[in-house]
Amino acid sequence: MLVTWRYHKRKSLIQWFDPRAWIIFYLCFMVSTLFFWDLRFQSFFFVISLIVLFTSGVTWKEIRRAFIFIIGFIFIYAILTFLTGRGGVEAYKQEHIIRSLSAQFTIFGWRPTLIISVERSFFAVSQLARVFSIAVMTILIPYTLNPSLYGVTFRGLGFPDKIAYAMDLTMRFIPTFGRDFQLTMDAQRARGYELDKIRGGLIEQVRKLGPIIVPVTIHAIIGSEDIIDAMDLRAFGIGPRTWLEVLNYRRRDRIIIAFGLVLLATSLVLLFLGYGGFWVPDILIRLVGG
Amino acid sequence: MNKKLLGVALALVAILVVFLLLTWLLGSVFNIDRFKTGENPVLRFVFVIVGLLIALGVYYATKDSKAWEVGTRQVVWMAIGAALYAIFSWLFNGTVFVVPSVSQVALRPAIAIPMFFGYAFGPIVGFFTGAVGNMFGDALTGFGLYPQWSIANGLIGFIAGMPLLFSDKKKSLDSVLIAGGVLTALGILIYFLNPGVVNQLVYPFDQPVSVFAGISILVGFILVVIVRFGFGKNIDIAAAVTWGMLGNILGIGFAALSDIWINGYSPSVAIVGEFLPAAGPNLIFAAILVPLLVVAYAAVQKQSGR
Repeated sequence: MLVTWRYHKRKSLIQWFDPRAWIIFYLCFMVSTLFFWDLRFQSFFFVISLIVLFTSGVTWKEIRRAFIFIIGFIFIYAILTFLTGRGGVEAYKQEHIIRSLSAQFTIFGWRPTLIISVERSFFAVSQLARVFSIAVMTILIPYTLNPSLYGVTFRGLGFPDKIAYAMDLTMRFIPTFGRDFQLTMDAQRARGYELDKIRGGLIEQVRKLGPIIVPVTIHAIIGSEDIIDAMDLRAFGIGPRTWLEVLNYRRRDRIIIAFGLVLLATSLVLLFLGYGGFWVPDILIRLVGG
Repeated sequence: MNKKLLGVALALVAILVVFLLLTWLLGSVFNIDRFKTGENPVLRFVFVIVGLLIALGVYYATKDSKAWEVGTRQVVWMAIGAALYAIFSWLFNGTVFVVPSVSQVALRPAIAIPMFFGYAFGPIVGFFTGAVGNMFGDALTGFGLYPQWSIANGLIGFIAGMPLLFSDKKKSLDSVLIAGGVLTALGILIYFLNPGVVNQLVYPFDQPVSVFAGISILVGFILVVIVRFGFGKNIDIAAAVTWGMLGNILGIGFAALSDIWINGYSPSVAIVGEFLPAAGPNLIFAAILVPLLVVAYAAVQKQSGR
């Protein structure tokens, strides 16, 4: 049995567009976001992602788990950047130190020191905005893309029939295998198999993962025979494929594609003109007396 | 020259043209340092051309082989492989399962999936499993997309599928093993020549590569040799693990070396800081998990007669 993503029809900005148009826009958005470290440019993308999130029609209840996980992940990432100052080393050359905290103890002659500087803090904020925009846009896709349109969407994006169909099946299988994984894990636990605390040396640890990975994989392969039979009965791959649903670009779809492309082109031009690098507001530096 | 071969040749020429255009545009016109070809620009493209010619040659020599067929079964296997790889990489990325990492070696057992699918169902299925699975796995975690790592994972599955091209699996094994051994020795040598390089895979990026992460590729290689000769009678296990090893070394090597241009790493950082800590542990996981999968699959095949 297939499990599906939590898609349903919603009043939603994303679902108002053709899925192909949205995927193209998403790709342009993501690539453009990656070019910038400057918070002024980042905030533009940040606002777009917030607008998309709040008009997506996805309720908090539906998205809660995925969202909390991603937000937690982003915060840990940003805090680590802030604490260690790594990751931004190439972005700025000098630091304006607000406060420097040294630990009272040493570990093997190394004294843990926390340096809080304007650049570090601001870098963490910029990183937070950047990762957040991309993450929000990405997690909304499975909630807002109609599963019956996966195949025709990828076909419409220019993939050959068979590859488009394989991508369609991949997206459909992911939640199913997630469920199978959970079931297998529960079954192994019921047999007294300890998965929560995997102990032992590296090789022992890997060997212990066998009892979950092998059954899930083999079960998936055995289950595939039914799908193969069903597809063969419908003469899959004999001639050029026709799709049940037809997608047509409407005016709004052309507009969103054009917007995405303009966004990408503008970002590229700004990048080549040398904009978009890491930026710290002067006022903050003056505040600490720099 | 038949139509299909012409198509493949044209696709390879197109890849070359895109490569040349990108380098010329970004390096010479926009003056971005990373894309400048530096000294010996011709030599570098000779390598690209040689690589493409090898791809064409392999295809031409084996174009009648069953390994290149893409039918209903392959389409479904591709999808299953990619979905499994995505799910496993998502779960073991330290999200749902917090698996402890032993001295900088993160547990990433999912790598066995593209190797096994490549070996069992052919290079095309392997490539799709690695490339698309990695893409969806990263998207699930919220990382965004890293095309060079997707291609690298695809290559792992692709090379693991190579034995299907040989009618005699045994013959090629020893040369593959020797090639893997030479590359492993080279990696270890570079590690000892460049101690103290920062590990690029462990966040925050400030710890030097630990000795274990550095020599893990040797541990992995020894495990592969043990599997190769210990299970010498079951040629399927030996072939899957040996070719998977070569795929892992070449695939991860491709991604690490491409980061010299993409992330601006120096060659020693790319090899010691990125290639060794990624390829070494992968090899250990593969040597243990791939045989388990091959044995289980053989039992299924026997039962269902397919």
